[in-house]
Amino acid sequence: MPAVEELSAKDVGPHPLLAFLQSQPKKALSRLYQRPSSCLCIFRLLGPLERQIVMNILWLDASIPASTMSSWVVREGKKEYDQALIELSRIDVLVNSATELTLSATFKTSLRQAITGGGSTGSFGVPLPGHSEHPTPSIATLDTYALEKWESILHYMVSSGTGLPSAKPSAGVEFLLERSGLMAKAREMTSSQITSTGFQFLLHTPHDQLWALLLQYLEMSEERKTDIVEVISFLFMLSTMELGKEYSVDTLTKAQEHMLSDLRDYGLVWQRKATPRRFSPTRLATTLTSSLPPLPTATGAGGAGDSKGEGFIVLETNYRIYAYTDNPLQTAVLNLFINLKSRFPNLVVGSITRDSVKRALMNGITADQIISYLTTHAHPQMRKNKPLIPVTVQDQIRLWELEKNRVKSDEGYLYTSFASLADYEYVLKHGRELGVILWESAARRCFFTSVEGHASIRLFIERSGQNQQPNRG
Amino acid sequence: MPPRRHDDIMDVDSEGSDASLDYDGPRRKGKGKAPKKKDKGKSKVTEAPYAWEASYVRSWDTVQEDESGSLQTAVDDLIARGRRKRLLAPSKAIRRTIIRHLIIILDLSNSMTDRDMRPTRFDLTLEYTREFVNEWFDQNPLGQIGMVGMRAGVGERVGEMSGNPPDVLRAISERHKLEPTGDPSLQNAIEMAKSTMSHLPTHSSREILIIFGSLTTCDPGNIHETLESCIRDKIRISVVALAAEMKICRELCEKTGGQFGVAMNEGHFKDLLFELIPPPAQQTTSSALTARLASGAPANAPGNAGGDLMLMGFPTRLPDTSPPSLCVCHSELKSQGFLCPRCSAKVCDIPTDCDVCGLMIVSSPHLARSYHHLFPVKTYRAVMTTEETANSSPKCHACARMFQSPAPSGPGRKASTAGKADGSTSTTNGNSESNSIDGREGAAIDTGADGISALGRYRCTDCSNDFCADCDVFIHDVLHCCPGCER
Amino acid sequence: MDRSSHLSVILDLCPTQWSLSAKPSNPHPLPFDTFLSHLLVFLNSHIAYKHENSLAVFGALPGKSVLFYSSEEAGDLSTAEVVQSDPNSYRFFKTLDQSLVQRISREFDILGQPDTEEPPALVGALTKAICYINRLLHPAQTLSSPEDSANLPEPRILILSVSPDASNSYIPIMNSIFSAQKLKITLDVCKIFGPDSVFLQQAAYLTGGSYIYLEHREALLQYLIMSFLPTPSIRKIITIPTEDKTDFRAACFCHKHIVDVGYVCSVCLSIFCQPVPVCSTCRTKFPMKTLQRLNMTRTPSQPSTPRPTNGTPTRQVFSGLAANLR
Repeated sequence: MPAVEELSAKDVGPHPLLAFLQSQPKKALSRLYQRPSSCLCIFRLLGPLERQIVMNILWLDASIPASTMSSWVVREGKKEYDQALIELSRIDVLVNSATELTLSATFKTSLRQAITGGGSTGSFGVPLPGHSEHPTPSIATLDTYALEKWESILHYMVSSGTGLPSAKPSAGVEFLLERSGLMAKAREMTSSQITSTGFQFLLHTPHDQLWALLLQYLEMSEERKTDIVEVISFLFMLSTMELGKEYSVDTLTKAQEHMLSDLRDYGLVWQRKATPRRFSPTRLATTLTSSLPPLPTATGAGGAGDSKGEGFIVLETNYRIYAYTDNPLQTAVLNLFINLKSRFPNLVVGSITRDSVKRALMNGITADQIISYLTTHAHPQMRKNKPLIPVTVQDQIRLWELEKNRVKSDEGYLYTSFASLADYEYVLKHGRELGVILWESAARRCFFTSVEGHASIRLFIERSGQNQQPNRG
Repeated sequence: MPPRRHDDIMDVDSEGSDASLDYDGPRRKGKGKAPKKKDKGKSKVTEAPYAWEASYVRSWDTVQEDESGSLQTAVDDLIARGRRKRLLAPSKAIRRTIIRHLIIILDLSNSMTDRDMRPTRFDLTLEYTREFVNEWFDQNPLGQIGMVGMRAGVGERVGEMSGNPPDVLRAISERHKLEPTGDPSLQNAIEMAKSTMSHLPTHSSREILIIFGSLTTCDPGNIHETLESCIRDKIRISVVALAAEMKICRELCEKTGGQFGVAMNEGHFKDLLFELIPPPAQQTTSSALTARLASGAPANAPGNAGGDLMLMGFPTRLPDTSPPSLCVCHSELKSQGFLCPRCSAKVCDIPTDCDVCGLMIVSSPHLARSYHHLFPVKTYRAVMTTEETANSSPKCHACARMFQSPAPSGPGRKASTAGKADGSTSTTNGNSESNSIDGREGAAIDTGADGISALGRYRCTDCSNDFCADCDVFIHDVLHCCPGCER
Repeated sequence: MDRSSHLSVILDLCPTQWSLSAKPSNPHPLPFDTFLSHLLVFLNSHIAYKHENSLAVFGALPGKSVLFYSSEEAGDLSTAEVVQSDPNSYRFFKTLDQSLVQRISREFDILGQPDTEEPPALVGALTKAICYINRLLHPAQTLSSPEDSANLPEPRILILSVSPDASNSYIPIMNSIFSAQKLKITLDVCKIFGPDSVFLQQAAYLTGGSYIYLEHREALLQYLIMSFLPTPSIRKIITIPTEDKTDFRAACFCHKHIVDVGYVCSVCLSIFCQPVPVCSTCRTKFPMKTLQRLNMTRTPSQPSTPRPTNGTPTRQVFSGLAANLR
């Protein structure tokens, strides 16, 4: 199944944040690596092989010859291993050297400190004991809060396309959405409209969505001349904090305190009032460096502990869709590419039609995205099927996409006005042998070759002593 | 793992010992088994003559909603009951044939191209045979399997007798070499299988499994003579028919003590095959032993398939990195292999007989795989009252799961679901099995109402540790070792 | 695939063996507290490796086995309250370190100084570890479907052994190995002290794990991290040393000797080190003829000697690494 392969391929790819870190100057990175919590989180974002390499040399004092290490690698894994080494040196975790492997000194000290504990950096946040008047919020409260905030952002995006009114998120969020190109202000309108990237964004997993927005936030902070190291390390600190605990604001820097209000808008942290001295991270924040679902089950009916019960869509071979949800956001997302027929308290029924898929395609959503969304949100009952999404539906969605691309464009040369049919066929035969003919018409005595074929065809014609002028197509 | 049919085997065994007066074990056994088989058939007949005449069981009647209107508890209850049931089998050690030799005779005649089983009988047979072989070797690590095909009126050797699963599977891996054609010949195939097994020692079993799709057999001589000789050689023949019952097939099985079954559909076909996987209880020894005791006959009477002491060697595995040397079995240069402990010859694969000194070479894991048949874990006792839990741990001794707190849930409701649950499981599991289980339940009465603990605690009688329901099943089905007693 | 992994560690806590191991007369003495500090770093590294990685630590004490720590209880806030929060360390590490050290010292206190010491309950710990993993792999029977298996952790068990084989634990260990095979658990063995263990070698070999005899004990941490931290999927790329010569000998049922050539009852496969007239397990009488024949051919009883194992190239790599370690 191509859809599934794509999903797993996405899992394996390097984390988007690493690419961002690569673009940072060495000095900033080395400042970032001074904090044990940041080192721990970056370590977790690395690929599995990279993590093992770091671990292998973490506790060695002297550097180890590169040849010794590579003797542990099997021949088939050499390529991956070399790639991993390159990745590591790009973010300056590994000191760049051809003959020896060493971790950069700061990174080594901090990661060691993270694992053994100790030091005095306080990078894991200063927890506060429960307040006497205002009890620490329960995990359920935090979950509801995070979910509400996050979904309101997404819902705002979806409903902007349909023109339905919905609660506007804070100005900061709106700006971020526009900045990232997910929403755009049309000239004549006052409110922003969702863009095609925005539609694609909606079909991603919450985890990817979150990181996409945060990366955007990082870039934005960069432009605002905020210290990027402060921002990243605060995010990392959040991700190592514990759900359901309160932390002190006092140890934070100015920039980080400023961030708190933004993060509150995204639902990453919870604060009792606008400027309190304490804050609690939500599940969105504490799962930043893991692959656990960052949001409690959106349907709400399945109980919060049931993390895998996310699927809610049943798709039949007759293109009908039954979605067990009462969540307006999910309904709205579905509405992007299906025709809703009826709604019940916990069930939405609709069907995939040519028109509905066309509409989605017009919005810039691709067939693969639709299929992968259906796959990830399939109901547990559907997971028993093999393949998971009925083949008919899958193929049909792809065909509808192909319909859109009925006209194919190729660059090339058109050969016309051959003197005789014999000449025409003589050249054509040569072209066929080369495999460069894209189109031909014997009646009109012309054919069309690809760009690569042009030179050799022309040479061939010239050599055969013909004088046709090739016309550029 | 397919459900182990302790019950069937136990029955066979006990009948065998009844036959103490008659020396001729197997034939007598065959007869003993025959009426029983019919009994089973009959009991089915009285309940449901044909599938379409059976009364419709409304599955929704057998479950009951709990206080919150959810079916989950009822479903869980059913599952727990079904799993626990099998464990109530008496854990007495029974004597099983552990060193087995089996010839699988595949029907490769025209009739196998029928499409009444999807995709065709032939393809399905190959697929199931592959699964069968894998599972068979898992449970009978010291066994060997050979393959014979019936095609165009002759028997064809498809695969030599081998104890190595890949070898056996390779024999049936190439489909185009086995393309069905012509008529089958039971006699030719059985004769061929018989000659392959003629040299085997007495302590091992000789078995033939026939997968038969045809309704005819085209034999050169009198097949009843072949049958007689099989009985003489103590070859147990089992037949799985894909079309319909044939008199000669039924007779082959009954007279040699094998099992006969007609597959009704794909699933049933697989069940019939997989029933033949667990090592059969040793049929002849118990009757022969009792006969010997009664008559005072000398122990080495001919045909005594009883115990024997075998000399076995436990080899050393050579690493892949050791310098290559010639192996004695294929004379090839290889670095990996096993060294015979007596003569230090190098062989490629185990279990095998050393080609130089003839010592049987097995690895100790091969032997150990069979031990759990011999030393089963005692059945745990369901803890019924809260008093008993007073000074025991709040967690499962094995997996550290917290036990549910002893909140009293309506006992009346439990009881009523219990009754109904039994009904539903028996209909799904097939009648034969539930009959025997019901019979046993009386015996196991001391373990509580039906062995289900309302507290979810099951206590080992030896070490008095409590285990949860999942661990109880896991320990008895898979682990075969009590974590508390460490035995 | 980057799946999360579960690691169950079994600590062999035989006091006698540990006191022997700490003796300065050893070429590489390793006292228990040094071992513990190395172990804690290793366990923390495992948790650091991935957010979802889970851990369980079992102890095999003389005559009893204990679950010291599991990731589940760390997630439980009520037990976590005990641990003092500290801005300088990751809470999961802190909880793990503190509770493990506390519980081990508590068990040692209870143990006191008995005159006779029972062998450590390795089987109990091993079977518990397997049951624990079984529970993780089958969270709810009703929901299990093939697609879910991708979300389940890759299970491993690491046995840190110091005491010699107890021959009466042969059958239960073998049974545990087969269950581990069924559940696709990799059994790794690190022999820290004492003679090579035939049973545990087989365990590692049969489950695709690795058996390592620790030669440079001061380099314990490096051994642990390089060999036992990689998950099975990483081991496809970075090789880790495996014991090349695996001993397939078994213990006989009569004297619990480990034998090369044994006499096996055909009915129940009991192994004896000498010909016996009656099987002690299933009471089968063996034919006189066989006995006579076997007694004739019998070689004078050979006390089984441990087979020599060669140093492997990978071990030399280790020595090189050990030199680099501080």
